[in-house]
Amino acid sequence: MSNASLEATVDPSEVQGWINNLGTEPSAAVPLLQAVQRAFGYLPRKAMDLIIENTEINASQLFGVATFYAQFRLDPVGRNLIKVCHGTACHVQGADRLNTSLRHVLGMKDEEEDTASNGSYTVEDVACIGCCSLAPVMLIGEQAYPNLKGADAQKHLVKHAKTVGEILPGKDADKEAK
Amino acid sequence: MSGEGLLINVGEGTCGIAAGAPEVTELLKKRFPDAKFTAVGCVGMCHQEVMVDITNADGKTYQWGNVNKKNLPKIVRFHRGEADLPEQLLIKSTDAPDTEKSQYLLKQTRIVLRNVGQLNPTSMSQFQERGGYTGIEKVLKGGMSPEDVIAEVKIANIRGRGGAGFPAAIKWGFARGAPGKVKYLVCNGDEGDPGAFMDRSLLEGDPHSVVEGMLIAAYAIGASKGYAYIRAEYPLAVEYFGKAMDDARKAGYLGNNILGSDFSFDIKIKEGAGAFVCGEETALLASIEGERGMPRIRPPFPAIKGVFNSPTIINNVETLANMPWIINNGGQAYADLGTEKSNGTKVFALAGTIKRGGLVEVPMGVTIRHVLEDIGGGSPTGRPLKAVQLGGPSGGCIPESMFDTLVDYDAIDATGAIMGSGGMVVMDSKSCMVDLARYFLEFTQLESCGKCTFCRIGTLRMKELLTKICEGEGTMEDIATLEELAPSIKQASLCGLGQTAPNPVQTTLEYFRDEYIAHVKDHRCPGGVCKGLITHTIIQKDCTGCSICERYCPVDAIEGELKKPDTWVIDQQACINCGMCVEVCNPDAILAA
Ligand SMILES: Cc1cc2nc3c(=O)[nH]c(=O)nc-3n(C[C@H](O)[C@H](O)[C@H](O)COP(=O)(O)O)c2cc1C
Ligand code: FES
Repeated sequence: MSNASLEATVDPSEVQGWINNLGTEPSAAVPLLQAVQRAFGYLPRKAMDLIIENTEINASQLFGVATFYAQFRLDPVGRNLIKVCHGTACHVQGADRLNTSLRHVLGMKDEEEDTASNGSYTVEDVACIGCCSLAPVMLIGEQAYPNLKGADAQKHLVKHAKTVGEILPGKDADKEAK
Repeated sequence: MSGEGLLINVGEGTCGIAAGAPEVTELLKKRFPDAKFTAVGCVGMCHQEVMVDITNADGKTYQWGNVNKKNLPKIVRFHRGEADLPEQLLIKSTDAPDTEKSQYLLKQTRIVLRNVGQLNPTSMSQFQERGGYTGIEKVLKGGMSPEDVIAEVKIANIRGRGGAGFPAAIKWGFARGAPGKVKYLVCNGDEGDPGAFMDRSLLEGDPHSVVEGMLIAAYAIGASKGYAYIRAEYPLAVEYFGKAMDDARKAGYLGNNILGSDFSFDIKIKEGAGAFVCGEETALLASIEGERGMPRIRPPFPAIKGVFNSPTIINNVETLANMPWIINNGGQAYADLGTEKSNGTKVFALAGTIKRGGLVEVPMGVTIRHVLEDIGGGSPTGRPLKAVQLGGPSGGCIPESMFDTLVDYDAIDATGAIMGSGGMVVMDSKSCMVDLARYFLEFTQLESCGKCTFCRIGTLRMKELLTKICEGEGTMEDIATLEELAPSIKQASLCGLGQTAPNPVQTTLEYFRDEYIAHVKDHRCPGGVCKGLITHTIIQKDCTGCSICERYCPVDAIEGELKKPDTWVIDQQACINCGMCVEVCNPDAILAA
């Protein structure tokens, strides 16, 4: 599966703007990567190269940092991002079922796969988002959905897809929508 | 009635928002366009979200819980004088302050949480009305020297709330005495324990108290620069804390020559980037400097040589938020609470299978049972509680038989668990302690920075063995290997991550050994959790043939004819034991065992 269509176009002047704001010293590495990821949802290679060229941060530090922290990703994300909490409270209350259910309607079979084949959604596991008393919880974009059963996750996703006009590649998605 | 004269507070912390607070607010604004609305932080009654406080023109206040768009009209009609009071939604009111639901708060002692849920976290004036910044004013205008501040905190005998429990005053004393032109104070808001949210609610619900606490600490140690290291997953906390800093700066509480004194201090926010180990103080410093968050060898301790090689004190959010209260009320008032060596209060985040989840602040020295049963309301499922996990991945599991253990650093340490930062995840009989240990080891193994071999490889080995046991492939020898690995990993790791990673395994092995043995010898998971050891079957006599399970089965393993219960079966070859069907089955007709 190629997600070439999800690759971002990087505007060098935008990257330079972040560098001007956040600084060129090594301690700016994390904030710079955060700015890039906030804009593109991931760290495009082009943006990384621009940071290396225009700051005191070298490639080994920048990639070292980018691969160390869970927040950063080097692959493009789908047009919508789903975060499933796998903190302790969510785990003991069945967070795994949210993944099973979401991946099913998204048609994601391969374990390694985290983005639907049509680029609509990426499912990411995160550690605790701080609503543990409402576990299990997931986020679609910024919106949090509390107290979920596996089936609820699917229903919310189907609804969301309808509002944003995405097609869900999983085979039962339309059955559920009825 | 347009709502004129009404004061309406809606809890809009992260959990309130998740439960639907924005929608409720919007609807209320339509019904009562002239009311005065305030978005307050989370008071910590997460089980009652969405929460709405409405004060009528006559001054009477009503607190409503579990409000949603369906039941909202009942509340609206009541405040319009058109209907009776909807009893089942009321938490408490001026006329009925002492209800069963309000016990949750009445049974707590709120010092750190004094303001959360009581004010709009983005309002400087509301904070000041509630006595905000009077602590730092007392220090700077009342002529307290840094040594006086440290002495007061020493009397309070407050120990670090971030997990390690080191006395704050002693740590401050080290940094005070350390030579160095520039000193740093770092507020640790990384809150790495997945399953805990005390620091989130403080940063989000009462950010000014954290700023004020940082000011007091900075003054005591002589720091001029501060960092607030806040977890990336808490966007609202970052936003509100940033707003609080800006407002404090405008009001002259941050910056140069604060309140006309010669004390200058300012804070920068550093957002974490999702690494548990960065909560460890030396890794946190590396992270602030822009590096991979790898812990460093101590000594030198950060108090002598910390961020950018300058003396640095790292304190937890909750530790700092206590400081204004201690300065205002005196260290002795704080020390009077609690036990001999654990003073003051502790905030816990109650989650898991518990009736009333949320934030609980209690004086040290009460029992764990008091927190879980009297305040938390015990099990919501009808099944008995089995255990509580304290301290997250670094902590341990305390069985129900030991719920009478006191909330006290030493008493909890003696069980093999730790006080930790305050996460309490409660489990009932339908949970698996081996799976829990596996979950934590998977977590620590992923989060190990890789520096120490025993932590890097040892946690991986433990995770592999635990996975094997969960899959029913384990042997008694594997259990013995786990027991052998645990102390070695603890001994040979540099930082607290490796030093505590085996705790969940050791405590579950100690208190729930029979569950391990059931997995190994009987190939049975008593909690009905481990997928490799359970099967799902339809109990046809309870089945109604509604077909909902078929609809949600992700692998099409369920078949039958509509309304014909005796035709429904699960294809065991295809079934992946995900449990989706159990959740959707209304008559509880699917057995996982
Ligand atoms: C792996 C690891 C993770 C930690 N995570 C946190 C954390 O998220 N928040 C925190 O305040 N302390 C955390 N700590 C403890 C800190 O190292 C440190 O003791 C604490 O921030 C000091 O503040 P206190 O004295 O006020 O508790 C962690 C320690 C370890 C070993
Ligand atoms: S464990 Fe999922 S929100 Fe905390």
